[in-house]
This record gives sequence, C-alpha cells and structure tokens, in this order.
Amino acid sequence: MTLSEAELERYSRQLVMPEWSSAAQERLRSASAVVVGAGALGCPAATYLVAAGIGRLGIVDDDRVELSNLHRQPLHLTPDVGARKAENAGVKLGFLNPETVIEPFPARLEERNAEALLAGADVVVDASDSFSTRYLVNETCCTLGTPLVEGGILGLTGLVMAIVPGESACYRCAFPVAPEPGSVPSCREAGVLGAVGGVLGALQALEATKLVTGVGEPLRDRILQFDGASGEPTAIATRRREDCPACAGVEVDLPARARDAETAGRP
Amino acid sequence: MTAPGPAARELDLTGVPCPLNWVRTRLALEAMRPGEELVVRLDPGEPRESVPRSAAEEGHLVERAGERVRVVRR
Repeated sequence: MTLSEAELERYSRQLVMPEWSSAAQERLRSASAVVVGAGALGCPAATYLVAAGIGRLGIVDDDRVELSNLHRQPLHLTPDVGARKAENAGVKLGFLNPETVIEPFPARLEERNAEALLAGADVVVDASDSFSTRYLVNETCCTLGTPLVEGGILGLTGLVMAIVPGESACYRCAFPVAPEPGSVPSCREAGVLGAVGGVLGALQALEATKLVTGVGEPLRDRILQFDGASGEPTAIATRRREDCPACAGVEVDLPARARDAETAGRP
Repeated sequence: MTAPGPAARELDLTGVPCPLNWVRTRLALEAMRPGEELVVRLDPGEPRESVPRSAAEEGHLVERAGERVRVVRR
C-alpha cells in the first residue's frame, strides 16, 4: 500500500534523506515492535519509533508513575503521577502518531508470559532495568528468533547493542554471567541523569529502525558504550560463543524471516 | 531525428512547499524505470533552486526550462 498524503507530510523530513525511501517507510509501517519498559530508555525509544512511523508498538511495564521518575522518563508528566506507565505512555504515543497501533501491556515480563508478550514482534527493544529481565528478554528473543536491541544506563554511562539471534552475538554471549547481586548498584542506588537515558534510548530506536528497514548497518557484534562525562563513544567488538546457553542452537532461517516480515503488522 | 517517446509524466508541484515537493518528485522517480522522464512544475525561489539540485545530487539528469524541470531517471 502506498503512503497517504498525511503520511507523506508527516514523514517528509525522513523521506528526503538519500538513505531512506518510500520502500523503507513502508517496511517500517508494516513492522511491529515491543518495548520492554516504559522508563528512562523506553520513553525515548518508543517515542522515536512511533514518531518515525512504526506500524505497531507494544509497551510492557507494570509500574506506576512516581514523582522521582519524571526527571528521566519524558512521556510521563507531573499530572500523570500514579498512572500506570504502560497505559500513560500509550496515551502520549497515540497523541504523537495516530497512524501507529499502540498496545500497552501493564504487566511484568516474566518467564510465564515472556513468549506471549514478545511473539509477533519484528524487533524487541529491551529497556528494562534489571539483569534478570534482560537475560530473560534475550533468551526469549533467541528462542523466537526475533532481533533485539539491548540497552542499559547507569549514572553518566550506558551501552547499546543490536542482536540478530543465530547471526550475531546475543546478550549472554557478550555478558555470560550476571554480576553478583549487590556488586553493581542499581539505578535507584547509583542514580542516573535523564539525558543519558535520552541518548541511549534514542540509539535503541535508531538500531531498531535500522533492523526492520534494512537502512544502515546495525550494531551487530558490537557494543556501543557511551560515557556521558567525557562525551566519548567506544565500540567494543564481541562475537558469538559456540557454547552460549541462550543462542548456541539458534539457526537463522532467512526465508522464514522474510516471510514473517512480509506478513508482519497485517491484521 | 528521435522518435517521440512515451509522453513524459508531469507533476504539478506549484503551491507545494519544500521539502514536500522533493518528496513527491522522489517518490515519482522511485516508481519509474531508468531513462524515463518526469517533468515537474515548481514555484519560483527555493523550490526551483533546491528540487533540481536534489535530483542532480541523486544522479538524475536534470534540465531546467523556466517553471518546468525535466528529470531523466538514472
């Protein structure tokens, strides 16, 4: 289906980019994303995916908005304190772009519901805030064969990596063991500056956009670390581990992926 | 002498501001085959300056004739 008049105008500033095309825009429109977490990373990541014209966006979070969230979670505004984050983010994203189908899931992603929440997505953005959720999202995406963009922030630093299961290093290949509980302070203890979440969340949206449109070169087998104090980005090479418990047995089924892309986002 | 080819596609983009006029030109070109011609009508000023320049930058052959710009798809 060709782009409507309103879509041409809404997306005109990206449609004029030499790297972009109406075909890229249509691929984005037929794609479905799930963002896990509607916090410091999830707010900017979901915002830019929806603004750019992703066809469907699911957003998973079981928390409610607190006053102490507002400095880093720009979809949640002062009058929203007490609202469910997934639903509130869904309302704001709907205002931003009514062309996108928004599905809020006010639930905690756990082993029992992970596959159901992530199934059908063409790309998953992990914007969660714990190592256990991150490993679970990674493992579920490896099982489903769904491309994933991992991200994390702490203080003034953060990292992002794109994962194509069966093809490039997964999160567990790069970080085989979770740090001992208590050895890494959580955001709550160590603090975080909102703008750092903005930088890394926007990078996650960019990586997800690249993965579903084929535009650009996603950060496969590379971890981009960003040090906000110095402003220095550093790319670190990583690769698949043959004995990775999450992705070792995963084979890329390219024809199946093309088929999925073909039918994704259509009711 | 050259035989007259199939009628060139015409796109009236008068009244369409930048960069939407270039978006429309680009989409029309994307839908055409190499060597086919597109004639676009543009407002004076920025549109008549920038649309032909953008088309040339993407490698298309561009010929200006007043408010009409002829673009041959690369």
